Amino acid sequence: MSMALLTRWSAPLVWLGLLLALAVGGEWLEPLLRWSEPEARRVLYPQADLLTLLLRHVQVVAIASGLAVVIGVGAAILVTRPGGRDFLPLVAQFASMGQTFPPVAVLALAVPVLGFGTWPIIVALLLYGLLPIVRNTLAGLEGLDPAIEEAARGMGMGGGQRLWQVELPLAAPIILAGIRTSVTVNIATAALGATVGASNLGAPIIAGIVNGNTAYILQGAVLIGLLALAVDSLFSRLLPARQ
Amino acid sequence: MIELKSVTKRFGGETAVDAISLTVNRGELCALVGTSGCGKSTTLRMINRLIEHDGGEIHIDGRPIREFDGRILRRRIGYAIQSTGLFPHWSVARNIGLVPRLLKWPAARVGERVEELMALLGLPVEQFADKYPSQLSGGQAQRVGVARALAADPDILLMDEPFGALDPITREGLQGELRDLQSRLQKTIVFVTHDMDEALALADRLVVMNAGRIVQQGRPLELLRAPADDFVASLLGGDDRGLKEAAITRVAERMQPLSLRLLPQARVHRDATLRQALAVMFREHADRLAVIDDEALPVGELSLRRIVGAGREGGSDT
Ligand SMILES: Nc1ncnc2c1ncn2[C@@H]1O[C@H](COP(=O)(O)OP(=O)(O)OP(=O)(O)O)[C@@H](O)[C@H]1O
Ligand SMILES: [Mg+2]
Repeated sequence: MSMALLTRWSAPLVWLGLLLALAVGGEWLEPLLRWSEPEARRVLYPQADLLTLLLRHVQVVAIASGLAVVIGVGAAILVTRPGGRDFLPLVAQFASMGQTFPPVAVLALAVPVLGFGTWPIIVALLLYGLLPIVRNTLAGLEGLDPAIEEAARGMGMGGGQRLWQVELPLAAPIILAGIRTSVTVNIATAALGATVGASNLGAPIIAGIVNGNTAYILQGAVLIGLLALAVDSLFSRLLPARQ
Repeated sequence: MIELKSVTKRFGGETAVDAISLTVNRGELCALVGTSGCGKSTTLRMINRLIEHDGGEIHIDGRPIREFDGRILRRRIGYAIQSTGLFPHWSVARNIGLVPRLLKWPAARVGERVEELMALLGLPVEQFADKYPSQLSGGQAQRVGVARALAADPDILLMDEPFGALDPITREGLQGELRDLQSRLQKTIVFVTHDMDEALALADRLVVMNAGRIVQQGRPLELLRAPADDFVASLLGGDDRGLKEAAITRVAERMQPLSLRLLPQARVHRDATLRQALAVMFREHADRLAVIDDEALPVGELSLRRIVGAGREGGSDT
């Protein structure tokens, strides 16, 4: 049993372990990084910062994705209820627009309003992450077998009972897949926040570009990649194995 | 009791159900038959208000159904659909217990009721209670669907091709159960089927629909003997109608008292149908049969002449 549990969770654990090891114990990698950048004065992005940057990164993505889930799933539920049907095309269009609008442009527009720091990137990620969530929630709720809907109504279930006991559980795998896409894409996109003063794993990358230091860029990029892998494999374990 | 008074339903410009009037009394089983798309399912769905009727009136136990809250009404009416509509993420037991739980029965009573129904429908509890719908055969899933419809012991049952995917033996068993249930517990049942033998065997009232209208309704024998038009005649089996009539007439209705003549070897049970009696005659090359009771004692005799009705005086047929 515990063995099975261990194998089930081994992939996310490995990625998480690597991620933390790199975030706190980067100096062991100095020779390797030195090889990528033999001329530079320093190759290690200041150590104390990496873990903090990682946590900030996670925080920004968590807040943006949390909001995107609440808003995206909520909106999709509302427009599939009898009263909200009329708004379905509007919501679907708004969500696609959110993704066609480049996050960089959102950042540029948001800074004058929200100032430098974390908020502009949260807004950009929120908009960018809505589409997969809205689209998948709509697909999940609309794609239910009509016979199941008919039975649920025919047995005398009310709207709320159908939503919580039948529709959401059956649509859950598709909705979760949408959230997974949204979150993993946003982990990478969040790095852009460093350009407007958010301190996260984008910071070493920006610093690397500005100073022409490939080693810095590598550290930021590798950590972001590992974070995305860890979160993605956590998601793939989240879905219950059902027959 | 269910009463429909010139009930109409339109979808867009199309009239799916056209001014039908129908009364199903308490304890009666009404079978709806007709070609695909003639409005049978629509009629059922209007009775439990899954869809609202556009014209006419529907009354249940004397009250117009619009006076009821739709959900409360549907919990009172058992509903079984052909495609079963079982919830794939729930176990068989949980699916069956749905309506009792909606009615807030105590958990223990729900559990007892579920076991009772599984036994009634031939689904051993140990084997099936924890299975999921995807692990069932088509026939097993239909039985679960019927069990779910019966779960809260509703007075009224609407059944839309509930036995379509069953093998003949299980199907006959369940037809028997249904008839028993109906006569014992006075259920009012509206039953849709494409199987004419099933309709004839079960129905107190047979309703033939075509293109949204009721073409003819009455007792099965009446329709078999006097179909209103060619459509009804061919739906009821064309030239096969005679055999269908034989299939719903009991031997006991046609047999004669024992005479002094020697009893034939070939035997048939008094509760068998005339059709079965004919089959025995055909197989045994006999034109006379001994009629026996449960103890295999002879209680009468049946001749081919009696079966075909030639030997009856005054035609005491009802
Ligand atoms: N929700 C709906 N929207 C539009 N048209 C519908 C709807 N439901 C049924 N119809 C139409 O109404 C007519 C009657 O349909 P219904 O399902 O009652 O037929 P049926 O007699 O049950 O047929 P079958 O034997 O194939 O089940 C059909 O022409 C069908 O296309
Ligand atoms: Mg139908």
